[in-house]
Amino acid sequence: MSFWRRLRKFPFLSWLWLIIGALYFVLPLIATLEFSLSWDPELPLKAYQRAFEDNDFWETFLYSNALAVATIVVSVILIVPTAYWIRLRLPEARRLVEFITLMPFVVPAIILVFGLIRIYSSSLDVPFTEIELMPPLTNFKMGTNILIVAGYTVLAMPYMYRSVDTGMRTVDIRTLTEAAQSLGASWFTIIARIILPNIRSALLSGALLTFAIVVGEVTLASFLGVDAFGPYLFLIGQHRAYEPAALSFVTFLLTWLAMGLIQLFTGGQGQAAGAH
Amino acid sequence: MSYLSLTNVTKQFGDTVVVDSFNLEMEKGEFVSFLGPSGCGKTTTLRMVAGFEVPTSGTIKLDGVDITDKAPNQRNVGMIFQAYALFPNMTVAQNIGFGLKVRKMPSEEAKERVNEMISLINLEKHAHKYPYQLSGGQQQRVSLARALAIRPDVLLLDEPLSALDAKIRVSLRAEIRAIQKRLGITAIFVTHDQEEALSISDRIVVMNVGEMEQVGTPFEIYNFPKTQFVANFVGSLNNADAEVVDPANGILAMDGVHFKTADEGMKNRRKGEQVKISVRPERFSFAVEPLKDNVVESTIENITFLGSVVRIQISIGSTKFNMDTFNNPFLELPAIGAKEKVMCSKEAVLVL
Repeated sequence: MSFWRRLRKFPFLSWLWLIIGALYFVLPLIATLEFSLSWDPELPLKAYQRAFEDNDFWETFLYSNALAVATIVVSVILIVPTAYWIRLRLPEARRLVEFITLMPFVVPAIILVFGLIRIYSSSLDVPFTEIELMPPLTNFKMGTNILIVAGYTVLAMPYMYRSVDTGMRTVDIRTLTEAAQSLGASWFTIIARIILPNIRSALLSGALLTFAIVVGEVTLASFLGVDAFGPYLFLIGQHRAYEPAALSFVTFLLTWLAMGLIQLFTGGQGQAAGAH
Repeated sequence: MSYLSLTNVTKQFGDTVVVDSFNLEMEKGEFVSFLGPSGCGKTTTLRMVAGFEVPTSGTIKLDGVDITDKAPNQRNVGMIFQAYALFPNMTVAQNIGFGLKVRKMPSEEAKERVNEMISLINLEKHAHKYPYQLSGGQQQRVSLARALAIRPDVLLLDEPLSALDAKIRVSLRAEIRAIQKRLGITAIFVTHDQEEALSISDRIVVMNVGEMEQVGTPFEIYNFPKTQFVANFVGSLNNADAEVVDPANGILAMDGVHFKTADEGMKNRRKGEQVKISVRPERFSFAVEPLKDNVVESTIENITFLGSVVRIQISIGSTKFNMDTFNNPFLELPAIGAKEKVMCSKEAVLVL
């Protein structure tokens, strides 16, 4: 009797949809894993071994990681004070800024990269003279690095701004600022010691999204001609069979690891924020 | 010379005058409350002293120095907020030490000061807790300690008790007053609660729509209100219309019943002039002394038991008044509808 009653209460339909949804994501992953292990039946991990043996893999992967870290630092420096100031003093500018931060969703990356190349492939001179203020950035390695980090900062802006802004909504920015000011704190101290620590979890998730975007990005990297991880994966995908499957499975694992770490780090913080 | 002075301080937001030529001279160690309904400009005035708002005109001087345009972080002013405003990422001890760290006080000295402050507010056991682990009352005490740790020139309290429940509100206000007296610190306390202002202050500034209505000691504000607004806002009050009968002797008529008043302003009034009179409920009593100034016939309309006080509604002529009398177990209350003689002194009758 009770078994049938329980059965009737069981939400079949919800579970059905959950399973269909899960299959949609998990099946390709299982297929990828299965394929990556099928190169040599004697040596199931051969694809992984080959992929990791490639020197280009490590070089491009580490380079993209460095680009991601630089992008995150630049984004935080640009976006945290902006979002903070808008919340504190310019709430009427919020809609405009939100619109601007959404632009990278509307304007494709290809347009961004052509714009960057067009402007920065010639030198910047003092008007009507031959005096050069800035050499063409596309002509040397460091210049290209600056360009690509700037481009990535734009691409990451929607995610970073939204995360930071949401994080600031959970704390009473204005009162905390005034309390700190009355205790003698400068703007720099307020942002570094009060604002940043209190939006830590929001910053972490913004940083993770930025990281994911930068490490897999192809368009900017290939048009600016840098040896980043995105173009490398693209190249491998065209010329090899088993290694790309191995690499994409590893990438998935890394993403999950990062998400797990965020959960781990923000657990306590979430509790603290919940009390307010 | 006074320690803190506000001279003709005016604040406008667009066309709206929020504070209109505010003048106040405060002595060192004085505790002054700004009392008024919401939107009366009391918080804006406080925020101008703190430096969060810049006056449209007027000057603010602290210890002889003009601080009108100084940034808030250059003023050495302690501020306490209704919402506690503790830093959620820091422990109690770190919160209290924040101002000292900003001032680059040597760590040994800062540690000592933090411990001193923690024992001042009796939170020794909670020094390493985070704000979210504390109750509202405890959080506000930490906020008090944090503001006092920097040894501020002035302590500003912006409705600090409004978010707390009744019992804690009463005990914390006594604690705040005791600490303020002990340290001899100059303090401004903003509140909309008249009982709070009366119980805690040396002087009260009563404000209404941006203007100062009256400045005085709690005793003066309660017993000798200068305007109708002050009389009504502070304490409860009976109001009635009356006519001047004899200005020289202070005789008024209300519904044909004569009342005597000690009000000074009566001499300047004309016979036949219509005025408003006000009498506090506790100034009425049943007539047992026949020689009192105003002994009048009344009808008992209603009796409400309020705990320590019994409120009796009486009518004199056609006007209803409240009369408060202290409760005691042997109190003999009259029946509803009974006729009783009531009295009040001529000083109790205010003409506003």
